[in-house]
Amino acid sequence: MTTKKTSPIKNVVHLECKNLHEYLKSQTAQVITKLYEYPAICLAVYRDCIPDIAKQFVIRMLFVEQAVPQAVVSSWGSQIYAKENLEACKSLTELKIWAEASIPGGLSAWNLNPSFKRNLKIAWLGGGSSWSMFNSIESDAKSRDINFLDQYAMSRWNCLLHYMVDSNASKGSEIEGISVDAVRIILHANLMKRNEQDGSSILTSQGFQFLLMDTQSQVWHFMLQYLNTCEQRGLSLIECLSMLFQLSFSTLGRDYSSEGLSENMLTFLQHLREFGLVYQRKRKEKRFFPTRLALNFTTKNAVVSENIVNESNAFNKTTTAGIVGDDNKYEKGYIIVETNYRVYAYTDSKLQISLLALFTELLYRFPNVTVGVITRDSIRQALRGGITARQIISYLEQHAHPKMIEAATNSTLKTSSMLPPTVVDQIKLWENERNRFSFIDGVVYNQFLSEADFITLRDYASSIEVLLWQNERTRTMVVTKNGHDDVKKFWKRYSKGGG
Amino acid sequence: MNELNADDPSLLVIALDTNPSQSILKRKPNLLTNILNSISAFGNSHLMQKPQNKLAVIGCHHHTSKFLYPSTDKSLEVRQIDGQYEYFTLVEKSIKTNLADMITNAPKVASNNESMLAGCLAMALCYITRIKKSQPPGCNLNTRILVITGSEDSAHQYMTYMNVFFTAQKEKVVIDICALDNTLVLLQQGCDITGGQYLKVPQIEGLLEYLLWIFLPDPAIRSKLALPPPVKVDYRAACFCHRELIDIGFVCSVCLSIFCKFSPICTTCSTVFKVPVPLKPKKKKIKT
Amino acid sequence: MADDDEIREYRWETGYEKTWEEIREDNNGLISGSIHDIIQKAKRKRQEAKKGSSRLGMMRHIYIMLDCSEAMSIPDLKPTRFLNTLKMLQLFIEEFFDQNPISQVGIILLKNKKAEKITELAGNYKNHVKMIQSITKLNLVGEPSLQNGLETALQTLRMIPAHASREVLMILGSLTTCDPGDITETIQSLKQENIRCSVISLSAETRIMRYLTTQTHGIYSAILDESHYKDQLFQHIEPLQATNTQECSLIKMGFPHGLVQDSNKKDVSMMSMCMCHLDSSEPRKLSTTGYFCPQCQAKYCELPVECVVCGLTLVLAPHLARSYHHLFPIANFIEVPYEKQSTHCFGCQRPFQDIDKSLYQCPKCRIFYCIDCDIFIHDTLHTCIGCSTTPGGQKHQIHSDSNNYQKSFNNSVHL
Repeated sequence: MTTKKTSPIKNVVHLECKNLHEYLKSQTAQVITKLYEYPAICLAVYRDCIPDIAKQFVIRMLFVEQAVPQAVVSSWGSQIYAKENLEACKSLTELKIWAEASIPGGLSAWNLNPSFKRNLKIAWLGGGSSWSMFNSIESDAKSRDINFLDQYAMSRWNCLLHYMVDSNASKGSEIEGISVDAVRIILHANLMKRNEQDGSSILTSQGFQFLLMDTQSQVWHFMLQYLNTCEQRGLSLIECLSMLFQLSFSTLGRDYSSEGLSENMLTFLQHLREFGLVYQRKRKEKRFFPTRLALNFTTKNAVVSENIVNESNAFNKTTTAGIVGDDNKYEKGYIIVETNYRVYAYTDSKLQISLLALFTELLYRFPNVTVGVITRDSIRQALRGGITARQIISYLEQHAHPKMIEAATNSTLKTSSMLPPTVVDQIKLWENERNRFSFIDGVVYNQFLSEADFITLRDYASSIEVLLWQNERTRTMVVTKNGHDDVKKFWKRYSKGGG
Repeated sequence: MNELNADDPSLLVIALDTNPSQSILKRKPNLLTNILNSISAFGNSHLMQKPQNKLAVIGCHHHTSKFLYPSTDKSLEVRQIDGQYEYFTLVEKSIKTNLADMITNAPKVASNNESMLAGCLAMALCYITRIKKSQPPGCNLNTRILVITGSEDSAHQYMTYMNVFFTAQKEKVVIDICALDNTLVLLQQGCDITGGQYLKVPQIEGLLEYLLWIFLPDPAIRSKLALPPPVKVDYRAACFCHRELIDIGFVCSVCLSIFCKFSPICTTCSTVFKVPVPLKPKKKKIKT
Repeated sequence: MADDDEIREYRWETGYEKTWEEIREDNNGLISGSIHDIIQKAKRKRQEAKKGSSRLGMMRHIYIMLDCSEAMSIPDLKPTRFLNTLKMLQLFIEEFFDQNPISQVGIILLKNKKAEKITELAGNYKNHVKMIQSITKLNLVGEPSLQNGLETALQTLRMIPAHASREVLMILGSLTTCDPGDITETIQSLKQENIRCSVISLSAETRIMRYLTTQTHGIYSAILDESHYKDQLFQHIEPLQATNTQECSLIKMGFPHGLVQDSNKKDVSMMSMCMCHLDSSEPRKLSTTGYFCPQCQAKYCELPVECVVCGLTLVLAPHLARSYHHLFPIANFIEVPYEKQSTHCFGCQRPFQDIDKSLYQCPKCRIFYCIDCDIFIHDTLHTCIGCSTTPGGQKHQIHSDSNNYQKSFNNSVHL
């Protein structure tokens, strides 16, 4: 009797993208307490990290000096949604926004973190000192308008993405290269791998997935990776985080002063300038303009406060003074998917076209439109590279042309996605085709000398539920790896006993 | 899109009654400052809930109604002065400046002018319609109006109120009422028709607390919290001749006015009525 | 088409609507301004078609007759004529009850030379909508019978009291009808009973339908495409002018209150079953809430309804209030060219720009509105914002000859 071991095929690693809640949860209590000293961070955490019911609880407790008994807090939610209540309480505890305490009388109560309470009130109602980068500044003679800032931000960010897509092409073409620092972060984040032979970088499967995410998630993920390494550069994590959050609450189109920022923060500002999150005319300049990338930092399509300089712009067509609606979407959708698997992309950006080329077969390229077709081969090629069907579908949905979205909302058929259901289903089916096999580690037992031996061993294996497969005619059976030891021991006992 | 989605952003329009003829303001003129502070804080707390939440505040004065936030005529440039988020400072400043403007430019109060709240609500509905239309395709916006008033019920505006309530019901706008002084029966009907909350504030000093506890949660999550139960509204009609609530009445088929007793002429539209005659039993036609 | 006596070119000759000629470039070579204009004109067309009112018939009893013959399975309206019609009817019924809350609707199907009444005249729209949804799988065979359908409607409508309007709305897809007797006799009896028949034809105009609608003073329309269909169907939602023969009388109505407390005892919540779901397959549970008929104390879940026990119509005050805007409509706004008379629209606060060629002004309070607010105010809101926010402007809103009415309103609010 011989045994053989079979080895599994490597599975595809998925990109782990933490959101703010998870990121904070992973920090130590010390770091969190220091973070809550900044009103901007408290406001961001309140707005983006906790469920709706938890927000109500917190705001009710904001004006109460003492601890609130837990029974009282549970009575605030309705009985039917008790599960959601518990989840809300749990999330607040995880983020250390409140802690358990006991009040005289022996009841257990919740006590809001005092620095969180204080700073959230400051951010909401006023008081305290102004945030570090919001010092007063003289008005700029040559201030930049929002369109310029948008273009600048996107061109910087696209440089980064271009590098990832085609690291060789960026040399010697009109696209600027990116700094060594940025390359280091990309490698550290495992988005690209250094090829040992020629030293160039190639895209990993996580890199593919990163490219297909929407811009806001990309920026967030990238900055998280940056923050993981910032301690090594000598920058304090707390300060960087506070700066990032303050930026996310700034007004688009307005300039801010960089006076009073420490050396470290100025270095950080330069890095942000390179990634496209802020704009500065010259390195040494005292003023900078946050761009849309910085403002959308924590949430997608956040309300972006806009500086209305001209009075004629006030209350312009669709927006209200002071806020810009979501209709000034950063990137307008440009993809139309038809039921005959054709994809029309109304764009001329090389980056977007090369992203499309990852999973479609490009047929024609015109100055303003590129036509491709989704085929089995093109999807399989993408799947082989590590992209999942879900990512492809969500990429197509994110960049869907407004006409497609309109048609979906106006149609009487209530479909879940605006893409044709045939195409969506087919992409998923092609993905499933690759999953026809499931691999389980096992051990093969064959070449039994007698039928009786085989039957005994097989019955024993099935009785301890480790038998995976057996064939009586060829006297072969497969047992799980874990069960192999047990079966081997049994066999030894049996063969010794049976003779 | 019949169900409210808690993930969608929300637009809150606050309709504030600033009419100096309100009895509550006549008693304590300084109360308006407190009310204004509470409303600014409340408006900002709404903006704190979600990044895409929107806010608008309309002031209803004795001579007209005007938008306090966002400013229509001029835009204010506001920089951060203390630790408050810049945007919130802008909101507060706009409300205060625009209200001061409106009060200084108001003509003298003649006699006890009642607040034209129904018109103010109609203006809010026009604004809401416009904002909803300007949303990009695929984005839903939950909308609601919060009315804060110390006035009494105004029977003159019954028709306008009814039009407003039915329009709000059709456009899925929830109307909440916060009554500072008197019980408002007519506006309660509005809450009932649109599915909103009604509250008569017991103590005006704690206005912000009441606003935060009862009116801050969006309608989508109100079912998950323990809030005061809806008020039972009596929908009986009153007859036009005696002003009494009636169970059974006679309705003119032309102008729909309600009477408690039969009379040969309708007093409102002057139609002559036919005296009801018992129907003669008609011969049944046999069909083949 | 029959009433156009002027010489018109047929479409198969050269008479096309040359819509592309309407689009012209302006000075800068942009066409967006001219497209904007076209959209504005289309929006305004509907507004101008409305006229002021005189007496209207508020209580309407309308039978909807639906053709279920083979001709309805033609897919020229997507997906088939029949399914498209059902979809339209659902929207129609909801909108109809919204605008005419005290009216009643019944549905008759013309199936295979027979007429089948699937819902009785009732004031609650949910039942009708449910019925419509259940007949989507109907087998469409045979030909419709006009006479049978009209006779069925006639039987019930005959009994309706004279103060209510009696109407029949027919949706026909077939060009033929298969009748047992003389249809002109049926038409004569319809005319005698003052039943107003309107027809919407999904195929072409036929002479007998034209005769029917002319005799009974109804509206006949043949549809061009889906949006035209919706337009024509929805024009029946507006209440009609009251004919001279319609008698005005005082209708006895009950106003139940929804409160649970009994007038004799306090805080007594008695459980009872409702009358509206007695015949339904799923029995309703005992409940304490509901509306009790003041005459016979029968309980109903929803209003408006006609009490099955004593025959009294039960309504709530808001139901009557929904119809008031028909009786007191606001005046049409005057279109004035844009000459910077105002910086922004008074309703929605949108700033006026050069692309707005005209503003709309209320004749009474002289406030300017943008086109979107104009349409919103006239279609849905029925209140001029300028008139309702200025003290004293209230009076402008209502016709001067109903001052009495306004006084009565003061009393109608129960305080």
